[in-house]
Amino acid sequence: MRILRTLTTTAAAAVLLAAAGCGGDDLESGGDGGSGGSGSDDKGTVVVGGQDFTEMQVMAAIYEQLLEDDGYTVETKLVTTRDVYLPELASGGVDIVPDYLAGLTDFLHTAKNGPDAEPVSSNDPDATLAALEPLAEEEGIAILPPSDATDQNAFFVTQEYADQNDLETLSDLAALGQPIKLGAPEDCEGRSDCEGGLTNVYGLDITEIVPLDFGSSQVKDAVANGEVQLGETGTTDASLEQLGLVLLEDDKGIQPAQNLTPAINAEFLADNPDLEDLFNELSEALTTEDLADMNLQVDLERKKPADVAAAFLEDKGLL
Amino acid sequence: MPRADEVAQCYVDNSWLCGRYWSDYRPELVDATVQHLWITVVSVLAGLAVAVPLALLARRSPRLESLVVGGTTIIYTIPSLALFSLLLPFTGLSPTTVVIGLALYSLTILVRNVLAGLRAVPDEVRESAVGMGYAPLRLLTRVELPLALPVIWAGLRVATVSTVALVTVGSIVSYGGLGNLLLRAVGNQFKAQILAASLLCVALALVLDVVLVVAQRFLTPWTRRAG
Repeated sequence: MRILRTLTTTAAAAVLLAAAGCGGDDLESGGDGGSGGSGSDDKGTVVVGGQDFTEMQVMAAIYEQLLEDDGYTVETKLVTTRDVYLPELASGGVDIVPDYLAGLTDFLHTAKNGPDAEPVSSNDPDATLAALEPLAEEEGIAILPPSDATDQNAFFVTQEYADQNDLETLSDLAALGQPIKLGAPEDCEGRSDCEGGLTNVYGLDITEIVPLDFGSSQVKDAVANGEVQLGETGTTDASLEQLGLVLLEDDKGIQPAQNLTPAINAEFLADNPDLEDLFNELSEALTTEDLADMNLQVDLERKKPADVAAAFLEDKGLL
Repeated sequence: MPRADEVAQCYVDNSWLCGRYWSDYRPELVDATVQHLWITVVSVLAGLAVAVPLALLARRSPRLESLVVGGTTIIYTIPSLALFSLLLPFTGLSPTTVVIGLALYSLTILVRNVLAGLRAVPDEVRESAVGMGYAPLRLLTRVELPLALPVIWAGLRVATVSTVALVTVGSIVSYGGLGNLLLRAVGNQFKAQILAASLLCVALALVLDVVLVVAQRFLTPWTRRAG
């Protein structure tokens, strides 16, 4: 009899726990209150989503603290890929995510029109936003105005090389007419935002692509010690300066506009229209340098994203 | 931005061993370990709750057995990414998604062991119990399950340890316990965190295994006497 009791107790416990976990979550993620009354202390629950890497951890923490300060109860759920949170954002399981303009546009565009469709994102944020809005609306997602802060792919040389040859832009580098070895990921060849664009748009003479990971310490070492002349990283990489490296400006615009853009479940925004002002204020205050600086604090100084986010918000007077 | 405090040397060096990490990130480590623990326990218990009836069903006929054993084995071959994606539309970004997935995976081990345990009950014992007037339910609970318990428990131990490891994939939907910390640390090469999360994972598996061994000694005192 003792066995039966043990087994039924454990089974019952399992079912109860599972139900508790399930029920609790439904209450939280389903609660899109806020309609209760403006200016009240408790505006209901909001779920912030996003991808689980440094920049998005910091952005999600900024969103969380901004929303909490505004009277919402916030739950943050960071996942591995956009595939996971986007359907949730559309269905209301997630209410708001920090995202990248062209990344989100490309995702929705290929989801709708297939992977071979002509890309609709470009270097122009306004044009990209215009392409994104109808795609997002179809999914029940509202897009708030993008920030000027952007995390685009970018190319760098050594500060020494730039100084010697008076380089500021990729066009300057092309004008030198020197053969260039490029350190970039394996899929760089032929891509319009990588080797293809550098060759066809800028007219760089790329003699070899040395396969080195995007923004890795290996690619930075390779440029610093002259194995390659040009390397690829992101515009929010703040480690370059102390390594004696410098970004060249993409003056002909081969990189799609990856401006930081809040994406909100459309119904949730309709119920909480004051969110628009809240996030516009943030987007206006945020710069690419801020992102780079915050990434550095998390990745190198090992500060917690929440602490970095709090310092940023305080610094900008957003709380 | 204020940079009042100096950065600890082991952060600058990105050392594997970093005492500062363990104190700075204690709340994160505790939260992740607690989440890891309860997701593991609930998943295995839910798996067990499903495995016992399935095993009872399976032993009714060879056809049912191959169906149940085959079915639970096939589930195990579904990659976790695909399984979670299948569950997402129904359960969303919630611990339920992870628990259901892990409970399904545990069935592969648990159903086989419950079945094998019941099989190992000698026919003579079963027949004498029936001869003494035991009804089917009483036969199951007072004779068969107690005798099957050591084999079931062996399965439970394997399932628990394997579930501790599997919980980490829950980070796909943001409920991966220590897996969330591992994922982030691999992302920005935070060696102290990779080591800490891995060690806690191993420690959790060991502790749960010890708990199960001790529990078994209490549940099956006769095996001790016989041993």
